[in-house]
Amino acid sequence: MSENVPLISNQDVYMNIALIKQYHENMPRRKAQQLALTYLERFGLGAIAGRRNPALNTEERFCVMLLRAAMVKDAMILIDQPFQIVPHLQDGRFIMDALKIIDDLYSSCHIYDYRWMEKKYGEL
Amino acid sequence: MSLFEKLGNQVIRMISGFAGTIAFSGKVFLRIFQRKTYSSAMREVLVNQIYFTAVQILPLFLLVSILFGSLFIGIVFSLLKELGLTQFIGHILMGLIVTELSPFLTVLLITLRSSAAINTEMAVMKVNREIRTLEIFRIDIIDYLVMPRIINGIISIVLLSSLFSIVLLASGNLFSRVMFGMSTDVYSNLLLNSTDFSDIVIALLKCAVYGFFITLIPIRFGLRASRELTSIPVVVSQGMVNVFAAILMIEVLSLLTKLL
Repeated sequence: MSENVPLISNQDVYMNIALIKQYHENMPRRKAQQLALTYLERFGLGAIAGRRNPALNTEERFCVMLLRAAMVKDAMILIDQPFQIVPHLQDGRFIMDALKIIDDLYSSCHIYDYRWMEKKYGEL
Repeated sequence: MSLFEKLGNQVIRMISGFAGTIAFSGKVFLRIFQRKTYSSAMREVLVNQIYFTAVQILPLFLLVSILFGSLFIGIVFSLLKELGLTQFIGHILMGLIVTELSPFLTVLLITLRSSAAINTEMAVMKVNREIRTLEIFRIDIIDYLVMPRIINGIISIVLLSSLFSIVLLASGNLFSRVMFGMSTDVYSNLLLNSTDFSDIVIALLKCAVYGFFITLIPIRFGLRASRELTSIPVVVSQGMVNVFAAILMIEVLSLLTKLL
């Protein structure tokens, strides 16, 4: 996931997430959307399910992008410069917490960033 | 560069563009018959597209067809009465209005509303890197974006054109009663006797071809947008001009088919 891999703007949040399952696994619409809603609830973001990309704040957008990436079967998530997606964060705690919430949905995760951003990640 | 070179370049560009569109059409047409095209995601987009194109437009479409249809039928009938050609009412209704006028007006309305929207939507998605996003997630653009819109175009034009014909024929019934004192039974018999099955088949096929191309061309041009926002109006205007050229070409070809 990256700032250069945006959410599809003419689809609601839950449709963006459900799309991966619907397309690759031919999962029925209702089931895929229910699944998307359940995962959004893990972040306490059930209320944004019907919103579209421009209506999201940066944290919400990050979580939705993360969930979408995790919907791929046996997902290996690669996050490219997460602080470009959530620029105002002081450190990486939010990112790590978000990853922990859905750690059962992916097999591995790698974060790529510039060396000068190292201090933002601290001990992580 | 000489005038002839410029002209030659233009012709080459036009021919290669036309050949590209035909090749793309072939690729898309074959996908219609492949089972894997119809994923759950594609079906959802298809249902939404049919709603946007054929259902949302219904009030306006019905209003236009009632107003235009009644006026047109009124004028045609009064002309026929004046010229003493009332025995040709059935042929004119079926041969001109149902098979020619209905598809043409329907396709014009849908092109103005939906083709322009599709062209812009594709161009915006390209500029926003959303097309690239779908590719990153290994979502086939043709299966997910192109096919639902094309199938929607075919279904919507066939259905709306049929609706337009029904409204016109109903107006015809009303006007024939008022102007010629013709009963509904006589009117129906007149229509049935003037109906040529092959004409109806050609009209339906023409609607399907219209629906195919008025969605395919805007998609193709929309996907040609670059990363620049300024490329959006360029590809939209190019796409719309090409759609209208395609409509005229299909109309001419269908007339030729009828003549031969």
